[in-house]
Amino acid sequence: MSGRHGVFVARRVGQAALVVLLTYVFTFLVISVLPGDPVTSMLRDPENGFSDQDVQQIVAYYHLDQPVLVQLATSLGRFLTGDLGVSLRTQVPVTQLLGDALPSTLELTATALGVALLLAVVVAYGTQFLPPRLGQGIVRAVPSAALSVPSFVIGIVLVRTFGFQLGWFSITDPDSLTATLVAGVALGIPVSAQIAEVLVANLDHERTQDYVTLARSRGLTSRELFRRHLLKPSALPVLTVVAIAVGELLGGSLITESVFGRQGVGTLVETSVTGQDLPVLQAVVVLAAIVFVVVNLAADLLYPLLDARLRPSARSAAPVTAPARTLSDAVAGAA
Amino acid sequence: MTTTVLPEAHSPHDAPNVAPPGARRPARVRRVPVSLALSVAVVVLVVAWALLPDVFAHQDPVTGVPAQKFLPPGAAHWFGTDHLGRDVYSRIVHGTASSVLSALVAVGIGVVVGGVLGLVAGFVGGWVDAVVGRTVDVLLAVPGFLLAVVVVSALGFQTINAAVATGVSAVAVFARVMRAEVLKVRRATFVEASTLAGGSSLHVLVRHVLPNAYRSVLALSVLQLGVSILVIAGLAFLGYGDPPPASDWGLLVASGKNYPLAPWLVLAPAAVIVVVVLSVNRVSRRLRQA
Repeated sequence: MSGRHGVFVARRVGQAALVVLLTYVFTFLVISVLPGDPVTSMLRDPENGFSDQDVQQIVAYYHLDQPVLVQLATSLGRFLTGDLGVSLRTQVPVTQLLGDALPSTLELTATALGVALLLAVVVAYGTQFLPPRLGQGIVRAVPSAALSVPSFVIGIVLVRTFGFQLGWFSITDPDSLTATLVAGVALGIPVSAQIAEVLVANLDHERTQDYVTLARSRGLTSRELFRRHLLKPSALPVLTVVAIAVGELLGGSLITESVFGRQGVGTLVETSVTGQDLPVLQAVVVLAAIVFVVVNLAADLLYPLLDARLRPSARSAAPVTAPARTLSDAVAGAA
Repeated sequence: MTTTVLPEAHSPHDAPNVAPPGARRPARVRRVPVSLALSVAVVVLVVAWALLPDVFAHQDPVTGVPAQKFLPPGAAHWFGTDHLGRDVYSRIVHGTASSVLSALVAVGIGVVVGGVLGLVAGFVGGWVDAVVGRTVDVLLAVPGFLLAVVVVSALGFQTINAAVATGVSAVAVFARVMRAEVLKVRRATFVEASTLAGGSSLHVLVRHVLPNAYRSVLALSVLQLGVSILVIAGLAFLGYGDPPPASDWGLLVASGKNYPLAPWLVLAPAAVIVVVVLSVNRVSRRLRQA
């Protein structure tokens, strides 16, 4: 790798770190500057059973009696050393709460991502190779239709169908593989629709290229054409969509976990919202931002490895239409 | 999301003013596709539901008839009745205002705040652009739904706050698109000409940039309206909107979830959400093609 590539990597890593820091500040400000003072109103609520001493301790720990900027500085300093604070509700360190909740959510989102990719490829294949009379039009309408269904509706329908009516397996037991799979389907369908839309648009574009005509004249069947020539160039831009979708999966896990009765980050957010447990909420938001930023950084750095046209050495070659490489390009293109 | 390329910018000055506007596509008969006509009809109906719920639903959405609880859909109750004997159709119609109008509020916030941010960033450039750019990066890095949940929990659980929260999570997309449009138009020859002819920045902004950007922002707004309806329904589903007896569509699904033997309690409001969002998305696709 050349020095120019090294500079590119360093710049992107720096940007990513900056975004995470800014997200921390932004969430802190949203939580502490917006009207209402949930922390003290929660602490003073006699029902929560905080003694005066507890309250003083918490106020002193978070410097709640000092200006917002001092609070921010303290909080930011602790964040930089990996200390995410202590839950107001349970007095447990936030890192421990997150550590307990993460595995289940990661399992769910990974399953959902797998389901989403699989469904998207199947739908994309259908749009290209089903005979027009045998429902190609219907398959083409599937992604935008799927995007119009709220994920909680998909979840409830799946729980009812598999859990209650067919009664094949326990749908709400989070340890069972099938339950995770079904929850992953509920979470993955909206994301698969987004991936499918991009994939189909790219396949439609690639199919008009000269090399496809050439391959056909060489006698390749549609299936070989799809597998050997079309899928790879069309799949590259999908990497950007997938990277963005990871954030959405984390956000969507809130609803999916609630519908399927799973204990994870989503349920942690739910209980923290009702209990006004702000340190936990802030930690989850920053964690989501870290995951998003890291995945997108990885996608950006992977592109040159996957696509020879984007390698620094190839820059001097004739310009080609490259896929959207950065988040900004992808979002601008998506609109 | 799609990869549809934004419509090319053109200015009123570029258009050939030789032929009258109607004569540009002489041979083609304009035909409105059935799906588009249906979608527009659905949107009109929903707006009517939101504005005049009493005209469309005569039964009381709040007080039910206990003797008539859990009636399946039929002639008297199109979508059946719930556990308190309330007419589900009536509850859906009366919940339209807060479900759909709050989505409009959300999109309005996104367009105004995001639009102004993008406009200023693209127009002024320099450090302003950098600051706006990083802000947008942050807003994009936090999952939209999670961001909405955090904002609504800071503001308090009400449908109007859910709308504001949804709007905040939409700001980034609008800022990006508006900035891209501004940069595109600023490079155009007619803007250069206008500046050379002595046009002020304000003149360029009002006469050239905004008219050219409005089409893609409009298409994005309609698309975002569908997204916002879904996000607000999700927030209401989790109980972050107005509490019962309000009848936001998401809340209707959430309370119907507890009665598996009366599936219409979930399916009716769910179907309404799906049909409305489908229709809105169909209209948005038409706007992007035009």
